[in-house]
Amino acid sequence: MGLILVSHSDTLVDGLRDMVAQVAGSEVAVATAGGTDDGRLGTSAPRIAEAIRDVLDRADDAVVLLDLGSAALSLELALEDLSDVDRQRVRISEAPLVEGAILAAVQASVGASVDDVVAAAESATTMAKLPRA
Amino acid sequence: MSEIRLVVIDPSGLHARPAARFVQAASRFSSRIVLRQDGREADAKSLIALLGLTIRPSSEITLAAEGPDSDAALAALEAELAPYVSPAG
Repeated sequence: MGLILVSHSDTLVDGLRDMVAQVAGSEVAVATAGGTDDGRLGTSAPRIAEAIRDVLDRADDAVVLLDLGSAALSLELALEDLSDVDRQRVRISEAPLVEGAILAAVQASVGASVDDVVAAAESATTMAKLPRA
Repeated sequence: MSEIRLVVIDPSGLHARPAARFVQAASRFSSRIVLRQDGREADAKSLIALLGLTIRPSSEITLAAEGPDSDAALAALEAELAPYVSPAG
């Protein structure tokens, strides 16, 4: 079970990868695809495809998390680039990137199924941020 | 259901990293394990449930387990929390 973190910013997913490793441990395979090929803000289908392949080399299944919706267009192109078999092993999460990545990684680190990992990530959508009074 | 009561002594409460370690440790046991604070209860095997409790410094928490390995689970989880808690008086 591995995660692919997709963002318009390479710096953002680099930091998030550190955070995920520190919170969930380093057993969960994580790859990042941030920014464009020439280092600008944006997303790149080839970089996303490469990150997905990297995770699929190390894990049976992969869950992709995105920062902003427009990354979904590049992701779609990246998925088209994968073989049918590989594509079956990839799930796309609607979860917010930071919270979703942390929750998914912790769930993955305890050996949960891919369905449980996706559900954990998506529970971040309604996660309270400020402490309740 | 066996339980232990603890007071959080860490000045930042129970934050993400120890909470994640706690979930990982709890997930190794088959018992049902919960953490309670102020009448609210969270599944110890769910990070989002645990973070949702927003466990603050000086608050009293109860760790409870029910199942075949409940005693071992409580011992292991108390050890896991040791740097952040002290026994409740």
